[in-house]
Amino acid sequence: MSLEVRGLAAGYGRLEVLHGVDLDAGEGQLVAVIGANGAGKTTLLRALSGLVPATAGTVRLAGVDVTGSGPERLARAGLAHVPENRLVFPTLTVEDNLVLGAYTRRRQPAAERTRVRDRALALFPRLQPRLQQAAGTLSGGEQQMLAIARGLMAQPRVLVLDEPSVGLAPRLVGEIFTALGRLRDDGLTLVAVEQNARAAFAVADSVSVMDRGRVVLHGDAATLATDPRVTAAFLGGGVSAEATDASDGRH
Amino acid sequence: MVDLLQLVFAGLSQGAVYALIAIGFVAVFTVSGVINLAQGEFAALAGLVAISAAGSGLPLPAAAVVAVASVAVVAVLMERLAIAPVKRMTTLVSLILTLGVSTGLKALMLLVYGPNAEGLTPITPGGVTVGGVSIRYQELWILAVAGLVALAVYWFYERTLAGKALRACAEQPVAARLVGISLGRASLTAFLIAGCVGAVAGVLASPVYFTSWESGLTLGLKGFVAATLGGLVSVRGAVLGGLLLGVLENLTAGYVSTGLRDAVAFLLLIIVLVARPSGVFGRHAEARV
Repeated sequence: MSLEVRGLAAGYGRLEVLHGVDLDAGEGQLVAVIGANGAGKTTLLRALSGLVPATAGTVRLAGVDVTGSGPERLARAGLAHVPENRLVFPTLTVEDNLVLGAYTRRRQPAAERTRVRDRALALFPRLQPRLQQAAGTLSGGEQQMLAIARGLMAQPRVLVLDEPSVGLAPRLVGEIFTALGRLRDDGLTLVAVEQNARAAFAVADSVSVMDRGRVVLHGDAATLATDPRVTAAFLGGGVSAEATDASDGRH
Repeated sequence: MVDLLQLVFAGLSQGAVYALIAIGFVAVFTVSGVINLAQGEFAALAGLVAISAAGSGLPLPAAAVVAVASVAVVAVLMERLAIAPVKRMTTLVSLILTLGVSTGLKALMLLVYGPNAEGLTPITPGGVTVGGVSIRYQELWILAVAGLVALAVYWFYERTLAGKALRACAEQPVAARLVGISLGRASLTAFLIAGCVGAVAGVLASPVYFTSWESGLTLGLKGFVAATLGGLVSVRGAVLGGLLLGVLENLTAGYVSTGLRDAVAFLLLIIVLVARPSGVFGRHAEARV
């Protein structure tokens, strides 16, 4: 399912953070969104999933206008959002986190939900032996895997992820991006906000660069990887690719 | 020794009533951050409705059902009319709002049922003396029914999808919205639970402790103290807090002075808030609801 964003504006109260964002993710594409702290990346994802209302512009899923829908309707429509800082339900078990991930599909036959769960666990086999453990006891990397798996339980066609690699050891970053690559190969559309530009370029099909609430550059990953404007800002030695983005667009 | 047993037993049955009211505080607070000062009025109203329904000739079980159902409706209406419309609910705003609802409910009860305290007919009248400890059958009913209700609430939060969804809202509201759980419906469910447990407490307590338009004040405060003893986030903590408070009150009344009975709750509250704000039982983070 394709995602098409045109002129999207959104913000918090009177503070507008996004000033007309355009973004395209074709079916089965992985789009990385990179940008400095405060560029509006997190707000973009929050506007896509309905956590923050759009004040202008449109969001289309497979051509259908879903602008202004709340998170519940968007989840049903096939968009899942893996939030910043994972936000797993800490005292619930890993299994219950997954069960709640399928909340919008609760009227589906149990067999169908089990099939989806088994596929998510096959993607992240580390979760399997921890199913009965409280999610809060997992390591950061495992919590990220759980957050993604929980998103997949909603059987999305478009998955948007907020900094899936933040705070993780390089080996885990590789593991997570390999999983995202496999999901893309299965036909899922992905939009990943990333601070870790190297990891993003390695696996993304196309890259959008955000700056102060706008997409200022967009192109396929291979081309942009050698673009001097991008390398200067994100791939050069000066900028710490590991820096966290906790303050992004929020206050 | 017999004195001690007598006081502990009386304390447990009284504590079971506090425990149910405390569960109501916890159910609402975890999901919406609201401290519901009308929680005690749920109990008082249920007692009064049950008394008047029984007085008009309904059999006791039917009167109890009518009472619980009416209070459930009141709790749901309260959530829709006074809580849901507030855009940015903070705990302070919730205190002011629910104090208003509590005052309104009290005025209504005074108007409809008059100023006198009355007691509902006990489910089983009379009592029995076991080894010198005199036990009213109604106290046994309180312990049994309150225990069952507490277990049912616990089972709901631990085992059912709807219960887990409420816990998800309490722990990570943003993530709960992202998986498609409606926070509005969660808050409504929480008030429904609070109304039901408060009403059961009120109906159970009425034959022993009597009910009037203003008994909600004491019951609510005791329930709040019990919930706070348990950290305000856990059903188990609320139950243990209620039982502990009931026993301590009765021991104080028996061994020190009857006049100090009500002071115990507030003394405990101050000690807990100063020394262990996260509750006496377990850490804050674990065992939410």
